[in-house]
Amino acid sequence: MATLDLLSISKSFGAAKVLHDISLAIEDREFVVFVGPSGCGKSTLLRIIAGLEEATSGQIMIGGEDVSAAPPVERGISMVFQSYALYPHLSVYENIAFPLRVQKLPQVEMDERVQRAAGILQLTDKLDLKPGQLSGGQRQRVAIGRSIVRNPKVFLFDEPLSNLDAALRGDMRVELSQLHRQLDATMVYVTHDQVEAMTMADRIVVLNGGRVEQFGTPMELYHHPRTKFVASFIGQPNMNLVPATVVAADASGAKVALEGGHEMVLPVAAGTLSSGDKVEVGIRPEHVEQDRPGLDVAVNVLERLGGTSIVYGSLQDGARFCASLPGDAVIAEGGSVHLGVAPEACHLFDASGDVLRRTSAPEIQ
Amino acid sequence: MMDRYTKLQMVGIYVAVAIFLTFMLLPFFEMFMASLRPLEHLFRSPYQFWSDDFSFQAYRDMWVTVPLLGRYILNSIFISLSVTAMTMVFVVPAAYAYARLEFPFKNITLGIFLGVNMFTGAVLLIPLYRVLRSLGLLNTYWAMIVPGVAFLIPTGIWLLRSYLAKIPRELEEAAFVDGASRLYTLRRVVLPLAVPGLIVVSVAVFIGAYAQQFLFAITFNQKRELQPLPAGLFEFIGYQDVTWNQMMAAALVGVLPVMLIFLFLQKYLVAGLTAGAVKE
Repeated sequence: MATLDLLSISKSFGAAKVLHDISLAIEDREFVVFVGPSGCGKSTLLRIIAGLEEATSGQIMIGGEDVSAAPPVERGISMVFQSYALYPHLSVYENIAFPLRVQKLPQVEMDERVQRAAGILQLTDKLDLKPGQLSGGQRQRVAIGRSIVRNPKVFLFDEPLSNLDAALRGDMRVELSQLHRQLDATMVYVTHDQVEAMTMADRIVVLNGGRVEQFGTPMELYHHPRTKFVASFIGQPNMNLVPATVVAADASGAKVALEGGHEMVLPVAAGTLSSGDKVEVGIRPEHVEQDRPGLDVAVNVLERLGGTSIVYGSLQDGARFCASLPGDAVIAEGGSVHLGVAPEACHLFDASGDVLRRTSAPEIQ
Repeated sequence: MMDRYTKLQMVGIYVAVAIFLTFMLLPFFEMFMASLRPLEHLFRSPYQFWSDDFSFQAYRDMWVTVPLLGRYILNSIFISLSVTAMTMVFVVPAAYAYARLEFPFKNITLGIFLGVNMFTGAVLLIPLYRVLRSLGLLNTYWAMIVPGVAFLIPTGIWLLRSYLAKIPRELEEAAFVDGASRLYTLRRVVLPLAVPGLIVVSVAVFIGAYAQQFLFAITFNQKRELQPLPAGLFEFIGYQDVTWNQMMAAALVGVLPVMLIFLFLQKYLVAGLTAGAVKE
């Protein structure tokens, strides 16, 4: 197993620059997820690590060795593709054995390795079938089987669950996390689904427009998003961003007036702000409480999920506002509610979208 | 449902098919009828569709009139098979390269290939004759095989290229990540998946080779025992008379192998020509 270091990777397709100077240090046995909206460059970055694309500039180190110019197989990586990329004319056994046949491994050893992989992935009784006879989840497992027989140093996954239905995706998430523990391997996983990122990752790389917005543990991203983009990307439902004006600010806090006039004192390091600045207050739906002074919200749609009730409403100026309240909260669609939030649960973003560090939130390292 | 038709529409469709088939098959039918008639009845006036003296005599006599007829039929098949085999040897790697690799002048050369298809061999007969004479290939099987291969390669590349391009790129990338070379991937992954396409292209090339051999045979070959069937049929034209009934019989027997191949492979042809057109 090995570390994976990216040193100022850039990539251009013609005049279009898709990756801007990306540097990451991924540790041995770490499960790192690249997440971001489509077109953010996450798949391109993965393909550069795999050796399927060449970086325009920068270096890739695997296990401390520079592999920037090496073909994929010499990098010690293996990759699971979004479409599984199984060979439809070969049996499950031959699909899993493919990389070993390429290496011309002796039959006995090959058989042993294929059987072990099939055992780990519960495919032992499916080895004679063709991929077309398998369900989506089983196909996914065959693709993973093909990637583990070679004992690579780094596993790469390119949106492997995006072709599965929601229930199966949940199961496969758990299986992949278990597999990671079982194989004790370094894994890099690309997805656009922040739930997959939050649930599986040791650390998450949030990419936006070809740049790393933030690289940290899931809870670090949740509690201390560095930018407005990360804040609204991580967390479900998305964070509300309410426009506000700074009334007073210093290094220990900022007094802001929300849209609608309510004033709050937020415990953030606001030394850079001054009175009159336009800012945005980030409020996570799950931190919103009912009947607490704050905002008047018109309830447009109410979703009762049982344990929680999700309110989709609008503020006085028409901006959308979402709140996640207890399941039996007394609310009615078409009505209006007073919703507030504890100041220490709020995030504050300056006009450029950067966060002001919260001083009272849990420190995560 | 798209395939629901009213009775009237069905009748219309069948009438259209019948008219089309009549045009296509009437010559074959007339060939068959002519082959059954005794020679002296062929020019009877008025035209008599049915007569009592139909016989398969011509099918027996033709082997006597033209003793090398069997050889000509075998030559035809041999030349077509050789052309097909050699063409495929060139077409497979070339089509793969055009489908997957980037190289300078790719589109221009593809366009030139298409342009070559517009020339019939006839335009190039004299230069070809000189080339074959310089190479010492006149009056050999090669004289009929080499030009055939040359003229069929462009068609083959165009047909197979579009088929190979439909094979998902990720399959090849997966093989590449697992350490497989291009050639190994071509052999183990791409070609097995391209079998229907390979059959389509082979059949198209075979038919093309069968059809075009006449021209090359009568220009580049003087040796009787090397002639393919279309050229051999000339021997039914004698000094005194033309034994049309035997010529028709020989032509039908000669076309038979191609028709049989078509019948056996037609399901691949249909599947291959429309593969990937719809999501399966």
